Amino acid sequence: MTVAVANLGVYWRAIPRPLRIITSRLLMLVPQMFGVMMVTFLLVRMLPGDPALLLLGNMATPDTIAAFREKLGLNLSLWEQFVHYVGNALHGDLGVSIFTSNPVVTDLLERAPATLELITYAMLLTILIGVTLAIISVVRAGGVVDIGSRVYGLAAGAIPDFWVGLLLIYFFFYILGWAPAPFGRIDTFVSPPDTVTGFYTIDSLIAGDLNAFVSSLGRLTLPVLTLAIVNAGALMKMTKTTFADIYRSDFIRHARASGLSEGTIRRIALRNSLPPIITLVGFMFGFLLGAAVLVETIFAWGGLGQYAVQSVVNSDYPALQGFVLVAAAFILIVYTVVDILYELADPRIRV
Amino acid sequence: MSDRNSTALLKVDNLSVDFGEGTPQALSNISFSLGRDEILGIVGETGAGKSLLARSLLNLLPEGGRFTSGDIRLEGETVLGISEAEQRKIRGGRIALIGTNAKALLSPVETVGAQIARVLRAHRDCSQKEAWKAAVDLMVQVGIVNPERRAKAYPHELSGGMAQRIVIAMAMVAGPDVVLADDATLGLDATIQVQVLDLLVKRCRELGAGAVLITHDLGIVAHYCDRVAIMKEGRIVELEEVGKFLAAPKEQYGRALLDAARVRPTPMVAKVEDPVLEKQPETPLLDVRRLLKLFPIAGTPDVVRAIDDVSFSVKRGETLALVGESGSGKTTVGQCLVRLLDSDGGGITFDGADITTMPAAEFRAMRRRIQMVFQEPYVALNPRWPVKALIAEPLRLDPTLDRAATDKRVRQLIDLVQLPAGIAEVYPHQLTAGEQKRVGIARALATRPDFVVFDEPTTALDIRVRAQIIDLVRDLQAEMGMSALFITHDLNSVRSLAHRVAVMRYGKIVEEGDTEMIFSAAKEDYTKALLAAELPVEQGTAQRDRAETRRLAGAAV
Repeated sequence: MTVAVANLGVYWRAIPRPLRIITSRLLMLVPQMFGVMMVTFLLVRMLPGDPALLLLGNMATPDTIAAFREKLGLNLSLWEQFVHYVGNALHGDLGVSIFTSNPVVTDLLERAPATLELITYAMLLTILIGVTLAIISVVRAGGVVDIGSRVYGLAAGAIPDFWVGLLLIYFFFYILGWAPAPFGRIDTFVSPPDTVTGFYTIDSLIAGDLNAFVSSLGRLTLPVLTLAIVNAGALMKMTKTTFADIYRSDFIRHARASGLSEGTIRRIALRNSLPPIITLVGFMFGFLLGAAVLVETIFAWGGLGQYAVQSVVNSDYPALQGFVLVAAAFILIVYTVVDILYELADPRIRV
Repeated sequence: MSDRNSTALLKVDNLSVDFGEGTPQALSNISFSLGRDEILGIVGETGAGKSLLARSLLNLLPEGGRFTSGDIRLEGETVLGISEAEQRKIRGGRIALIGTNAKALLSPVETVGAQIARVLRAHRDCSQKEAWKAAVDLMVQVGIVNPERRAKAYPHELSGGMAQRIVIAMAMVAGPDVVLADDATLGLDATIQVQVLDLLVKRCRELGAGAVLITHDLGIVAHYCDRVAIMKEGRIVELEEVGKFLAAPKEQYGRALLDAARVRPTPMVAKVEDPVLEKQPETPLLDVRRLLKLFPIAGTPDVVRAIDDVSFSVKRGETLALVGESGSGKTTVGQCLVRLLDSDGGGITFDGADITTMPAAEFRAMRRRIQMVFQEPYVALNPRWPVKALIAEPLRLDPTLDRAATDKRVRQLIDLVQLPAGIAEVYPHQLTAGEQKRVGIARALATRPDFVVFDEPTTALDIRVRAQIIDLVRDLQAEMGMSALFITHDLNSVRSLAHRVAVMRYGKIVEEGDTEMIFSAAKEDYTKALLAAELPVEQGTAQRDRAETRRLAGAAV
């Protein structure tokens, strides 16, 4: 038995390292996903408030409530409800939202791309700002950027995102008039492009609709900027610490003594700083899915966060469950990607 | 040709460095010159400014450092005060640095081949592919077998010696005129050290480059260098041809270093009339029988036989030296003796009791009698504790000691290892390497053990400090009559310390015998190879011949 296992190990070792990393991480995804479904199902059930009562209002008779509960399947045992739920979920059926009366999947498919587009661009800008500022302030220590970024790092941690969003709207929309109105993802007079990816910017390019592209890009500017400004501070601080340590390390000194150019040296240092940056970016990305809700609200974005808050307020179990499931799946995927990238970035990790 | 002779390859003129106004000079009035095909040794103890000098030559002073006077000329042209781009061409291109601890000098996330190729591309116009090929070719020349595969390895997959060769290849790849080797072989096994230095010197000769070997090992100087500069407190106190220096150092300091390096006190011989040994020769204090320690290799059914059927014994008052190169399993043996590792077979009998099968609770009491001095004292000392707390810690094993008694014992121990009493309040990071070793020894001796395992007690210490530590251990043994196992690869220290020597290789003891017998008439080839790898502080005929040839050729001194 042990020999067989050991032999398997030999075959496993023979697979190229990147493939080993990806396979093992993807295999992990299945039990993790099942666990997530179980936990979200139970957690949502523990929330107070009877949805049947809530939907039917105070005038409902006990009979109508009972009938409605029957219809929603709320009378079954927890276990039966769960089995039911998993079975349906596997068929792409997450139930019907009690509040919007739409299938939850339809609601989510409409809203998830909105949030994803917003936070993807926000993350890209966050990385650009955070990492660039960190590198400059280490390389030119004591310079203007270094000092400025310190002040910024302090402020970014303290100012709430909705406040930044409101300020941006006030200046760039209300006072200067440069930015488009903070009402949704695209100009009311421009029709959204056909859905391919769900990202208006990409879909409009695919459709060759330049108008829609410009409009959606314009609408993205302020919310993306808001999220980036708020989040880049943390990323910058962390990157700065890591990068500064590596920038002073022996192998960087040796690279300099070998006559490599400063550009190359910075690249080497950045390449070595990647693992912790990857981790934090992954964490932020997963976190923003729900945490962007205030920004979504301010810009009337119609995203996932708003949907989630709504369903909590209305005790909309299926909707809430759907959201938690999507969010958990998303975070799981992001973390899986993070793990894969991390292990690819650091050859010292054994897989 | 005459041009070459008239202008030195590298000329350092009255160079001084400090770290800001009013600070003492870290380097003061350093002057020397280096010709083509010449090897200059720079010797000094820790803090003498050797490494700073190496960095000065590349104009890469540490933060805050500045030149206050002097000039550095490479073939007559100054390297100071030129543009950053020109300096970059010189670094690695014309003056290359090989540093200590090669593994730390390589970027951990990139393949070594790519790192060598990158240096070439920084200095030569060539494609990625050409650079890679040049890197692989050079890896062959620095003695790396299977270079195509090794080039794709990451630094953590290489041994220390292999990594050092990679760093040498990085230095050589652009064909520099001057090679600076800053303690390039520190921490390597003696046999590897000789291989690496041989190779380095050979490559320099082939390139016609000049080399500066910075070291604290006068054996290296005697063996490889043409001239030697002795550094102390940022100055060159003596600059002389190696032969002349070894014969008659002019300065007091040079003589002190040379004497310390040559310390080979009367060898330890277990004399028949030795009263301690005569009393009870039959039952050894420690008896190791067929000891076995296996480490599984992850993902395979194979195991590494770190200790493979090892047997030896140590009598009361006797010192056994366990000598071997890194990876031979000698440290693992030491760790099994103090049960930091559990053995996989065989027995260890200490004073009649088998300690391999003893329950952990019972062995705890035994620890008072068996102690270990760790290899890296700084790592083994809790950085948040002052010296007195560090030394008092093992005393807690003895419940009969009250606070006053403990304090008294700590003072005694500090005195015993010849440290000043004031050191009790000091924290580990404020201690020198030698003081850290002494604190480590004091900790081990605190419980008055019968048996002490010394794991590499003299590694990485300055010449004079090493001699002091050896003296200390000898004195302590004479005073306390304890038995010891001395784990080391430093054969010099063994000769003056141990009664008997056991040579380990690949987890087995290949040869064992009385110290003098091993030194004078080793039977095994491996033991002979180890002995040959030690660089004595004397010039061999080859070096003398070379010196003579150089003298006749009228090389500049």
